[in-house]
Amino acid sequence: MAKKEDLLQGTLDMLVLRVLSRGELHGWGITLKLEQLSKSALQVDEGSLYPALYRMEEKGWIEAEWRMTENNRRAKYYSLTRAGRKQLEAATESWDRMSAIIALVMNSA
Amino acid sequence: MNPLRRFVRPLRSLFGKNKLEQDMAEEMRFHLEQRAADRQADGLSPEEARYAAERKFGNVASIQEQAREGRGWRWLEHLLLDLRLGVRSLAKSPGFTVVAVLTLGLGIGANTSMFSVLNGILLKPLPYAELDRLERIYRATAQNPEGNLSAADFLALCKAQADYGTVFAFLPASASLSEPQQPAEMAYTARATADLLSGLGVTPQLGRDFLPGEDQPGRDRVVILSQRTWRNRYGSRPDIIGRSIRVDGEPHEVIGVLPESFNDWRYLGVFDFFRPLAFTPEQAADRQAANLRVLGRRAAGLTPAESAGFIAGLGARLAREFPEANAGSTWRTVDLQRDAAGSSGLIVLPMLLGLSGAVMLIACSNLANLLLARTMARAREFAVRAALGASRLQLLRPLLAEALLLSLTGGVVALLVAGWFRDWAAVRSTGDNGEQVVFTLDWNVLGWALAAALVTAAVFSVAPALFALRLDLNETLKSGGRGSAGGRGQQRFRQLLIIGQFALAMILLSGAALFVQGLAEAQNRRGGWESRQVATGTVLLPAGKYAGDESQTAFHRRVLERLGALPGVEAVSLSAATPFFDWSDVRKLVVEGQPPAVPGQEPAAMFNAVSPGYFTTFGTRLVAGRAFNERDDAGAPRVYLLSQTAARTLFGDRDPVGRRLAVVGPGLPAWGEVIGVVSDIQSADPEPSGVTLRIYQALAQEPAREVAIAVRAAGVAPSALVETIRATMAELDDDLPIRRLTTADASIARTFYQLRFLRDMLTAFGVLGLALATLGIYGVVARTMAQRTGEFAIRIALGASARQITALVLGTGIRQALIGSVLGLLGAFAVTAAIASAFRGIHANSPLILAGTTLLLVTVALVACWLPAHRAGRLDAMKTLRAD
Repeated sequence: MAKKEDLLQGTLDMLVLRVLSRGELHGWGITLKLEQLSKSALQVDEGSLYPALYRMEEKGWIEAEWRMTENNRRAKYYSLTRAGRKQLEAATESWDRMSAIIALVMNSA
Repeated sequence: MNPLRRFVRPLRSLFGKNKLEQDMAEEMRFHLEQRAADRQADGLSPEEARYAAERKFGNVASIQEQAREGRGWRWLEHLLLDLRLGVRSLAKSPGFTVVAVLTLGLGIGANTSMFSVLNGILLKPLPYAELDRLERIYRATAQNPEGNLSAADFLALCKAQADYGTVFAFLPASASLSEPQQPAEMAYTARATADLLSGLGVTPQLGRDFLPGEDQPGRDRVVILSQRTWRNRYGSRPDIIGRSIRVDGEPHEVIGVLPESFNDWRYLGVFDFFRPLAFTPEQAADRQAANLRVLGRRAAGLTPAESAGFIAGLGARLAREFPEANAGSTWRTVDLQRDAAGSSGLIVLPMLLGLSGAVMLIACSNLANLLLARTMARAREFAVRAALGASRLQLLRPLLAEALLLSLTGGVVALLVAGWFRDWAAVRSTGDNGEQVVFTLDWNVLGWALAAALVTAAVFSVAPALFALRLDLNETLKSGGRGSAGGRGQQRFRQLLIIGQFALAMILLSGAALFVQGLAEAQNRRGGWESRQVATGTVLLPAGKYAGDESQTAFHRRVLERLGALPGVEAVSLSAATPFFDWSDVRKLVVEGQPPAVPGQEPAAMFNAVSPGYFTTFGTRLVAGRAFNERDDAGAPRVYLLSQTAARTLFGDRDPVGRRLAVVGPGLPAWGEVIGVVSDIQSADPEPSGVTLRIYQALAQEPAREVAIAVRAAGVAPSALVETIRATMAELDDDLPIRRLTTADASIARTFYQLRFLRDMLTAFGVLGLALATLGIYGVVARTMAQRTGEFAIRIALGASARQITALVLGTGIRQALIGSVLGLLGAFAVTAAIASAFRGIHANSPLILAGTTLLLVTVALVACWLPAHRAGRLDAMKTLRAD
């Protein structure tokens, strides 16, 4: 297994929103997707994920619905709201700017 | 997310809590199972897979707790919990709760009541459209800053109004209202320019407004009734429009009825009906009789300063053009809403609100002390919780919740108090025509009560909270929960409470006492006249029936003859005014043979027209010359009597009798001869006029339709004559309304009702403040004594006498009470200065009263301290020490 990276402070929300922007998922699905997309480089801590999900639901960025999975289990599916989409755009933009600045400083110093 | 859902979601999280908890548990279980299945696929046994998943997941309970905190309105859940606990804890000590709620209820109630007064007078808008552009226009002179305009002034203003906006005027006048089968009534009415109502933006509820031409002589026999008159006198009959009613003995057509909202007691709503104001050519030219009340509506583009400038400029122009009438006067505008409050209202209302705030503060400080005691009794509990790691906020929350509960319940009691006050005020203020002063409890008042409750909660819970936070954990836990003296900080805090309470109580009590005394003095002031044996009433001769001077004089003569012949009547008189109050009719004087005075600085005197018996009836002494007699009638040369001050001012040391002077009244200056001098009089007016000279004229030489009847009784009480007088007057003319026929003393007292109202409120504040402060000092001393029982027992065991212990306890309270009282004296001076500036006739300044109040407060403090002190002195030392 590759070396696991800790998530940068404050980036979990953005990543979750990004994952959900491709379609609705339940909490377990989000965990899997994050691990899969990062090629298992990221380990999502459930202790952070669920409070983050509830917080974002509270803020109205995502909404939840109980539905059946393919295996006929009841699961809570999260999907992006319009506000969430906007938030994702904003977060992505600021992330891009930030990483560009950091890269610039790191490379030129 | 749409705003509704944004609001509903937290609510659901609050009330659908169980559902959410289940959801959360299920979601996490699902996650764990999926992870376990995943690991099993990797080749682990089912049991190993489950363990691995759980290890990975972490502490489920802690995650759930974190998730819960992240959910909205968590604080509200905490608050509800705290409130529930608070209710339970307060219910456990009902004695404390009842005392606290009542104290707060009275304190906040007094304050809320006063706010309802201020709200009703200052804040509630008058019921006129676009109120902010309405102004009252005054012609101020040195004697009278709120002088009115003459007809000629008003017409000049009308001509120039295009640059201002619109102006309209009214003229209050009594009128008789009579129909067959109904007793004649003396109504409060006003004549108004045809555009008054439209200028105010008021439309009649029934019928129509005055038409433009109706303010012309001959076309003015139409009336618009107030809602109150329509209801009370005409039973709200819808067919009243077009009906003819008799006003001043002449038929008038009812053309309209005003809406209920117009019956606002603060301004024009006191009138029973309106008639058009029509000027005859002579009236229109009159510059002397300044009696028109003028209002204006500023043009929309004008600022108040611009309109004030325009009005002042016009006034200055008229003063230059007509110096003999207008010199020395300046014109000014006042915002109508402010004008309705009156100049004394602007001083008195904030003062009352402040004083009631003082009552509230005393109540608060009592509660702070009670709550501190309660908190300290639970010091051990606090210490244990703090030691277990409770945060500051968690420690304080139950305290704050209790304070909030107490103050909100107190706020509810306060609203009951305010409601009761409103009813009391309405009854106390009911006027002759059913007019009532009602201070409605609107949203402003409710908001104020809520704010006051929250502020008090904050004030009285802060101190206990601070002390609870500063608890020394080690010490408290070690002391085993025994009450200690409570530390120096708490002692000092309690001492400050007593000082503050007594300072406030001193302000309240001495303010009330000074006002009570000043009002009694003003009400009983009878300088140069007597009232005890006199009965008075006002009679109005209908203009239709008594049009000319001769018919009026003839009727006056018949009244004097008939009343004078009644048994028990010593003297009888008719006059334009009584000596009870300063006369509003002020006229300029010109003395023959003296150089004319500078325009605007002519000597002026209060003017009264009296029948010959006037001075005997009121007991005013003739100092020189002769009084009026029957021969001083319309056909005889005009004669005047002067007051001593008038004689001295006009003629110095020379004998005034036989000299000639002219009185400038309506029309031409009236030259006449001075025939005598009567003693100076001082009225009972709470707002005395600045004019000190008085001049009298024979009533027969200037008859009036509205006159005061005065009868002096001999051998019987004046009240016994009232019914005979009424019967006799009805025999003379049964169409004649008489207003306020009663004893002179009762009639004087009645006009003081507003001031007595004020006096009663101040007294209530004073008594309430004193009672609360007494309770406060008793509570503090009793608590101190309870906390120091052990110390006293040791002192007694070591040989201290009971007297020494008593003195020790007494000393803790009395010193602070004294300091507080002395500080309060300073505040008392400020309050009395405010009262004195609002009511010039009330001399609220008496060192004796201040000394008395201080003595009273100290005595009360002594008595309140004595009980616990006495108990301390009789302590059984052995028993106390063993019990420890």
